[in-house]
Amino acid sequence: MPILSMQGVTHLYNEGMPSESKAIDNINLDIEEGELVGVIGHTGSGKSTLVQHFNGILKPNSGKVIVDGVDIWSDKKATREARFKVGLCFQYPEYQLFEETVYKDISFGPKNMKLSDEEIAKRVVSAAAYVGLKRELLEKSPFDLSGGEKRRAAIAGVIAMQPKVLILDEPTAGLDPIGRDTILDMIKNYREKTGSTVLLVSHSMEDVARIATKVAVMNNARLEMYGTVDEVYSHAERLREIGLNIPQISKVFEILKKNGYDFGSVYTVDRAVEVLTR
Amino acid sequence: MLKDITIGQYYNVESPIHRMDARMKIILTVLFIVSIFMCKSFEALGLMVLFTLIVNIISKVPVKMVAKSLKPIVVIVLFTSILNIFYIRGGTELVNWHFIHITTNGLFTALFMAIRIVCLVVISSLLTYTTTPTVLTDSLEKLFAPLKLIKVPVSTLAMMMTLALRFIPTLIDEIDRITNAQKARGADLDNGSFMQRVKALVPIIVPLFVSSIRRAYELADAMDCRCYTGGPGRTRMKQMNLRATDFVWLGAALVYFAGIIVLNYYFKAVLVK
Amino acid sequence: MSDTIIKFDNVSFAYEPEDEEVVRAVNDFSLDVPGGQFLAVLGHNGCGKSTVAKLINGILVPNKGKVTVEGMDTSDEEKTVDIRRIVGMVFQNPDNQIVATIVEDDVAFGPENLGVEPSEIRKAVDSALKAVGMYEFRKREPHRLSGGQKQRVAIAGVIAMNTKCIVMDEPTAMLDPQGRKEVMDTVMKLNKEFGITVILITHYMDEAVKADRVVVMDGGRIAMDGTPKEVFKNVERMKNLGLDVPQATELAYRLRKKGFKLPDDILDENECAEAILKILEVKK
Repeated sequence: MPILSMQGVTHLYNEGMPSESKAIDNINLDIEEGELVGVIGHTGSGKSTLVQHFNGILKPNSGKVIVDGVDIWSDKKATREARFKVGLCFQYPEYQLFEETVYKDISFGPKNMKLSDEEIAKRVVSAAAYVGLKRELLEKSPFDLSGGEKRRAAIAGVIAMQPKVLILDEPTAGLDPIGRDTILDMIKNYREKTGSTVLLVSHSMEDVARIATKVAVMNNARLEMYGTVDEVYSHAERLREIGLNIPQISKVFEILKKNGYDFGSVYTVDRAVEVLTR
Repeated sequence: MLKDITIGQYYNVESPIHRMDARMKIILTVLFIVSIFMCKSFEALGLMVLFTLIVNIISKVPVKMVAKSLKPIVVIVLFTSILNIFYIRGGTELVNWHFIHITTNGLFTALFMAIRIVCLVVISSLLTYTTTPTVLTDSLEKLFAPLKLIKVPVSTLAMMMTLALRFIPTLIDEIDRITNAQKARGADLDNGSFMQRVKALVPIIVPLFVSSIRRAYELADAMDCRCYTGGPGRTRMKQMNLRATDFVWLGAALVYFAGIIVLNYYFKAVLVK
Repeated sequence: MSDTIIKFDNVSFAYEPEDEEVVRAVNDFSLDVPGGQFLAVLGHNGCGKSTVAKLINGILVPNKGKVTVEGMDTSDEEKTVDIRRIVGMVFQNPDNQIVATIVEDDVAFGPENLGVEPSEIRKAVDSALKAVGMYEFRKREPHRLSGGQKQRVAIAGVIAMNTKCIVMDEPTAMLDPQGRKEVMDTVMKLNKEFGITVILITHYMDEAVKADRVVVMDGGRIAMDGTPKEVFKNVERMKNLGLDVPQATELAYRLRKKGFKLPDDILDENECAEAILKILEVKK
């Protein structure tokens, strides 16, 4: 049984107004437990709208959203449960920090789940460890942290709810290479340790290539492709057509292929070195 | 989505009223408001209503839009009318049944008040339907310019107003984002007692404040870099020039104003003392 | 390239200068920028690059040393307006630098502040909007534009003041790939066609690659200074400084270490593919 499933999901913007348009259009998608899915597509392709359906922040105009076997709009309780089963971390999550201390901020989610203080304490500490926040930072004000630390504290706030599925919308946006690598490594490590399903919405095909197991490609409100990284990245030409920036290394191998040297689907430097030195 | 709202209620069509100099529009609106309260006879009231209708037609703003701006005041109008009907005495008695006394004075006062309020709202919303908030701010700055002589910082106030208008959509968008982010962490904003709901707003208000302060600092730097000093010597790209047609409007308005005075003088006032 | 437009002379700056413990954001920093150059300042967060940007037009003034713009000292308050006429600034967050509710009014803001004649402002605004390709959007409300478009409006606001130099502090950090491309294309055009000096502060190496010159900063000092080819060939060094190099450069570097004979100054995919093809042809 897939952990996340969409059946014919359509979401309209500005419903009933002259400017009505489909943000996502008849999406059918099954995501198996434990996958790390990269969701890619240009701005306005519907990728953010897509993921905001899984925890019930957005309600589809038609179709079903099924989380862990439960239709999340079947009743009120199911909708609320989806909030906690699917942890959604928005873009620039550091702008949601509000508490006096990092500890209190991370515990906001678990508190809303009405957990015991003891359980909350455990979860806060473990969530902070996953994102690599040192213990002494927990008693600081979140506003005194550095940019990268703020971002990680905010992600910890979602991880502390121990969702079955963690969705991160552009978690590396605006970060420098060190900040970006820290977050990507953290996501990879988190998934390996907890076995949770992770969805990573990203503009960067390089980032997705580095850590994802599956890739979903959105284009003009529709699901253009869904498959393993190898499968999807082998359609370099199509990806380029729909306005995606394919990794530079893929471009190099596109040129090699045109000149009669086909090495298959190559999209990371590691892989490139491997196939060329073989 | 929240961010698609329009600030103010500018209705974008071409019409003579849209083209009128905004300063003139503001002055004429004030003049009209004065005329509303001068009407004492049915004839004057009729002229006032006619004038309102004509302006509305010329402005090309659909009646439906204008009616929309009347919606919030319906209750007030009804309430004051009913009070007037029952409590104002004088003139001929129409109904006298137990504790209910209705007189012509009461009825007419109610009618006059209702029509006056409706016309007032129609004309002032036409001002905002036909003028963008930016232009409105600019013309207020110009109209109040003489106050600079008594050291009122008119330009600075106008700049603040412009910035407020500029940032309203940005902040609404931000509220939207923060609310969703906190909802995703299980914040419950729709249930619970009044106090619980107020408390539930803290996770939204605090980040909003923090980010607004950050924005303000960045904006101040950006304005500094573009040589804004707040002092004199600033020019404006868009000059307001009164054109001949604006004076035609002024003339028309004065004729109307004279008409009200004449009608009040020649016909008898409705309310008897 | 013409005479020096901006000059840093042994500049140091700390946000809390009294506190000896606190590290200086910029430390004994010297730099000469010739007019017309496209300079990229590259570095990880906290390396001092944004502080350098703010020192250029006097938002910050050095604790030690001197920054001059066309010979004018930025610490001389009487010269501040003159300096800002020459050096305009574009910031990271497009929302926080647009002041008006209509695009063209925003672009007019700078010239208005300088007291330019209304008819001259109109000309400057129109040509600035055309230069950044936003003329058709002049009557729009800024909040309805995309990030890349907003940033181009901000750039137009700077060039409408007839500046000779634009300093951009991570102008693309908050944009999507499309927006980043729009902004970079605009910047390149202004530099090449209008001869405007560009100082681009960034941590994206793919933007720095397009510059005439790259200055890499670390700990408030200059770690490397040269053409993109000269700088990026130091793959190890760049990685140690917390920066990326283009994938093509990295691939060439790693293949070279394995004994392949590839040039050491490869930056783009074409150069890389060409060099690899040569080797493959020989092997065959």
